[in-house]
Amino acid sequence: MEVLIKYLISRAFVALLFLCTLTGICSAAGDYDQLFRQSSDLMAQGDLDGALLLLRQIPAPVAGEEAGAFVSSRMQAGRILASQNETNKAIAVCQEVLKLFPDNSEARNFVAALKDQLKPGWHTVLADTLRFLPSLAKGALMTLLLVLCTMLVSPLGGLLIALGRISTLRPVSGVCWFIIWFFRGTPLLLQLFFIYYGLPSLGITLSPFTSAVIGLGLNYSAYLGEIIRGAIQSIDHGQMEAAKAIGMGYGQAMRRVIIPQTYKRLMPPVGNEFIALIKDTALVSTIAMVELMRAADQLFNTYFNITALALAAVIYLVLTTIFTFIFEKIEYRAGIYEQR
Amino acid sequence: MNNADQPLLKLENITKRFKNLTAVNAVNLEVATGEKLVIIGPSGSGKSTLLRSINMLEEIEEGTILFEGREVGYVKHNAKRHLDHPHAISTLRAEIGMVFQHFHLFPHMTVLGNVMEGPLTVQRKSAAEARTIATDMLIKVGLSDKRDVFPATLSGGQKQRVAIARALAMRPKLMLFDEPTSALDPELVGEVFDTIHTLADEGMTMIIVTHHMGFARELADRVIFMESGNFLAQGTADELFSKGQDNERIRGFLNRLL
Repeated sequence: MEVLIKYLISRAFVALLFLCTLTGICSAAGDYDQLFRQSSDLMAQGDLDGALLLLRQIPAPVAGEEAGAFVSSRMQAGRILASQNETNKAIAVCQEVLKLFPDNSEARNFVAALKDQLKPGWHTVLADTLRFLPSLAKGALMTLLLVLCTMLVSPLGGLLIALGRISTLRPVSGVCWFIIWFFRGTPLLLQLFFIYYGLPSLGITLSPFTSAVIGLGLNYSAYLGEIIRGAIQSIDHGQMEAAKAIGMGYGQAMRRVIIPQTYKRLMPPVGNEFIALIKDTALVSTIAMVELMRAADQLFNTYFNITALALAAVIYLVLTTIFTFIFEKIEYRAGIYEQR
Repeated sequence: MNNADQPLLKLENITKRFKNLTAVNAVNLEVATGEKLVIIGPSGSGKSTLLRSINMLEEIEEGTILFEGREVGYVKHNAKRHLDHPHAISTLRAEIGMVFQHFHLFPHMTVLGNVMEGPLTVQRKSAAEARTIATDMLIKVGLSDKRDVFPATLSGGQKQRVAIARALAMRPKLMLFDEPTSALDPELVGEVFDTIHTLADEGMTMIIVTHHMGFARELADRVIFMESGNFLAQGTADELFSKGQDNERIRGFLNRLL
């Protein structure tokens, strides 16, 4: 109650002062001290709007007149407005000072600081980047580890599946056909769910990492199997005959003659698959793996800051670019014998 | 073990069918050690198929193949014929060199690598030993200066000479040439013929399928004219090519080529 009365009185007082100012009664410089005091009181009571109104009554000095009160009042108003997040208004108030006194360093610095706050400048992004990078890097390392493990497992699996597919033994080619049919025909996400969430009900519990490598490995073995089979069958049949004619067995001919010739033809489609793999690792975030995608998602949900997602995109691009470069080099090396 | 009266290779009643087509029809053939046999005939007459049957690149339906008096390639099991164990077939092939129309060099290996491959992988010789053999063979075909290049850089004639060296590196007892010059530009044919000639002079037993009659006349101890899977005529080159040749089809074929 007491607060309310005080407020009403102060309001009335302000109105009176305002009228005085308008009519020019209150024009002496010495009166400003009292205005400052009153506005401080209002601020202390939490009435920032009232304080602002008082401060603004101090007029701009005419040429030669003492200007200290004017400058102090506008700076004080600027600080109040800034504290209310009215950055634009705060800048406008401070610029009143700069218009008359362009050399006022206090006003200039304050305006500069306020303007920094307004724009999301590069240093804001840099600060976010430095804040997010450690956990994103940790995620990226896990992504890289998954990619490398799958790249190690799937070419071997793919080669076995490819050789099985072209085998004349019906059961072997049948099993390999089934593997390709199943793993190419169902979503990778479903396969990962099945391995991580489904297998425990059959008594097989695997860690998220093991599940991820098995899921990605099988899936990519199936795809690479078809690619490798195509590459083997694209080698001129005469090569196999020539190898057999000097007395090589099937295995020797495959190992020494046929498969080495597939490398160059394999690299473009296999490179494609591995680029897809880098991005497909994002799917394992669904089975409790914290890799790059999951790390970015966690940061985004915590800070609601899009920089986290943008950074993740950049890291994925860096990874895919590096691998593209490596695959091109390998392809060149693998085909060096074809140059005339 | 190779008696003078025993042929190196003996084919008895060889028959090869492709679905409805009989490519080789109950053919009998004996090739003596050191003999140079040339098989001629129109396209599709079964010459290449017969040649490829000798080292099991084609599986025959009927007949027996005897190499150095041994029956090879097939085993009888419960009155049914089967291809012999792969290892036995590989062992036989290692003793029979084959040169293809399209060379089939291994493109990912250097010239030396191509020639070394047989001794190294099949005969399991040491790298040094295989290298010595391969170098000798490349000198023999006149390509020792090309040992370190890849086949893609060679001319057709050079490729075929490397292919011959590759076959020779296995020290074969019999050489099969399947139209060795048919894929070559005319000016490159000579160098390949010269290489084969050198081999012939060394006493290599060889069966050559070719369309070059001049070469057949020059080299062959015996020429066989084959048509529709049968031997229509055989004899020395002079007998077969003489104007007095009474078989109209052979005469027609020769007139088209000569």
